[in-house]
Amino acid sequence: MEAKENNQFGLEKSHGDHISSHSSGAAGFVTPLTSSPILSASMVEAFFAPSLWNHHTSSCTMNFGESNIQTATSGINCVPIGKPVAMSNRGMLPSPPPGEFPHSLPHFPVDSGFIERAARLSCFGGSSFRGISLFGPSQSMAPPSDASKDVNGARVLKAELNVVSLPVEHGTIKGITTNSKRDRSISHVGTSNNESREGNFCEDGQERHTGSADAAGNSSSSDLGANKRRKATEEMEKEKDQVLRALQSSTETTKNNTETKHKSYKHSGKNAKDNSEAAKEGYVHVRAQRGQATNSHSLAERVRREKISERMKYLQELVPGCSKVTGKAVMLDEIINYVQSLQRQVEFLSMKLAAVNPQLDFSIEGPLAKNLLHSHGGSSSAAGFSQEMIYPQVYSSQQGLAHAGISSMLNPSDAFRRPMNTEIPMASGYKETSLQMHNSWNEQLVMQMAYGANPPLNSQVINRKPDGFTI
Amino acid sequence: WRAPPGTRTLTPRFGPSKPMLAFRFLRALTLVHRTAANSSNAARSRRIQRAAFASMAYSAGPRRAWSRALLCRLHFHRARRRCAGRRRAAGVPRRPSTTGSPADGLRRLVPGGTGMDYCGLLEETADYIRCLSEQVKLMQSIVDSVGPGGR
Repeated sequence: MEAKENNQFGLEKSHGDHISSHSSGAAGFVTPLTSSPILSASMVEAFFAPSLWNHHTSSCTMNFGESNIQTATSGINCVPIGKPVAMSNRGMLPSPPPGEFPHSLPHFPVDSGFIERAARLSCFGGSSFRGISLFGPSQSMAPPSDASKDVNGARVLKAELNVVSLPVEHGTIKGITTNSKRDRSISHVGTSNNESREGNFCEDGQERHTGSADAAGNSSSSDLGANKRRKATEEMEKEKDQVLRALQSSTETTKNNTETKHKSYKHSGKNAKDNSEAAKEGYVHVRAQRGQATNSHSLAERVRREKISERMKYLQELVPGCSKVTGKAVMLDEIINYVQSLQRQVEFLSMKLAAVNPQLDFSIEGPLAKNLLHSHGGSSSAAGFSQEMIYPQVYSSQQGLAHAGISSMLNPSDAFRRPMNTEIPMASGYKETSLQMHNSWNEQLVMQMAYGANPPLNSQVINRKPDGFTI
Repeated sequence: WRAPPGTRTLTPRFGPSKPMLAFRFLRALTLVHRTAANSSNAARSRRIQRAAFASMAYSAGPRRAWSRALLCRLHFHRARRRCAGRRRAAGVPRRPSTTGSPADGLRRLVPGGTGMDYCGLLEETADYIRCLSEQVKLMQSIVDSVGPGGR
């Protein structure tokens, strides 16, 4: 499989140059549905080559794409699914039988990017299909004048999605973007994870998504997809899902008329799947099935449901012993119980701490607070000083978290002081409350320090939401 | 349909800052011990508990709705206590869960939960649980570090 891919790469690269020559005449897609690396036509190679690993032929792809879109050839416009489709015989998708591909897709506005991605994905080969999701390109089909996305077109898309979903599990399919950004996305499809595999697959940089997503703006699904892609940026594990969902949702509007077969698209809802697993895993993602409303409300509802389910899953991980529980109601009860128990624990521990003799003479506030809240510079010296002060006392008993906490907090305290004004955009209300809160339990501190002299300092130190700490 | 542009992505986010939490809480703790060494244990424990919540909320950052709500509530209660005696502020009136919403209990528990939609509530709950567990761990370690002779 790898060899085949390499062969394909070689072939594609060799043909990279005469893409431009093909650009005008790039009529039909060849559908090398056989599993063998038969690039059945030079067209295929041309398709594959354009930007496969070169990233440079954006112009070529653009021309290509346009020509593709414009060609109303009644010829075979099949996506060169090629291997992926063949490899989809793992049973992941009911890929359209090869025989159906020769259906004319005259208006299948698959532009070059689409095909490139398909090619790339096919080249990635053996990795399992994570799931099928329609890439953004499917959405791009909407703008073209042609709205007749027949079932074949849908199938082709689906197959392409098969291909597309290949590297999903590698973690970084950054969603495909809309038409306008197609060329960019195509040319820069590079994955961060897939270095082992030519690493060019996924787009780099989220700004592409967001930018393209913003630029898309034309269809609700694109926004939806953009939002979903944005969501994906922050979570590697769930990226794949997001992307798939984005793709799916983005295609929903485009395909609402024609698709029937995409119902079977499934994508793994769970991220920790091994590569060899077929794409028919996880839950059946909710899609715009036949006859289902695809208006914005249902889409929004779907998004909302997905968000909720994601968060429920995360909560399930947080709350110990909840992995076996299924059902929202029971989960909620468990969560409530857990939160209550935590709060009770805090109360109990605070009672214990109150009873503890104040032999824990931390004396943090004296030197440390002064260092933290007063001096801008000399942080290291101050920190060292504070450390000396604190350690002998804290260590009276043992090295607990107190030690770790204190020692570690001294270092970041320097960082707090420097970008004093960067955290201004905190809620001013928050600042005020924090100032007052600071008063509430640090009355002595307040008096000792020149609190009045440095209110912004104080609040900022208190309020500082250092990057990397929370959120 | 455009999702709210400020849609945040799902967790996992960065967890609560443990060093900050430890620092704040320890500071508060020492202060409580210093200033209220003569008061009863119950009163001190109350203060410590409030300090725990406050340090939790601080460490969580202002971006979290629950931390903001918690701080507001603490401050509000404190102001009330100072000014109006021991009257406990009612805060948000408690609605009976006759509406059948399953998240009502959760809303009551999580500070600031009443004003949120279900989705945000879940997210805040997750963060709140994380911070709470961190706080509990911290306090437990302090108690342990004091040793059996602490009592």
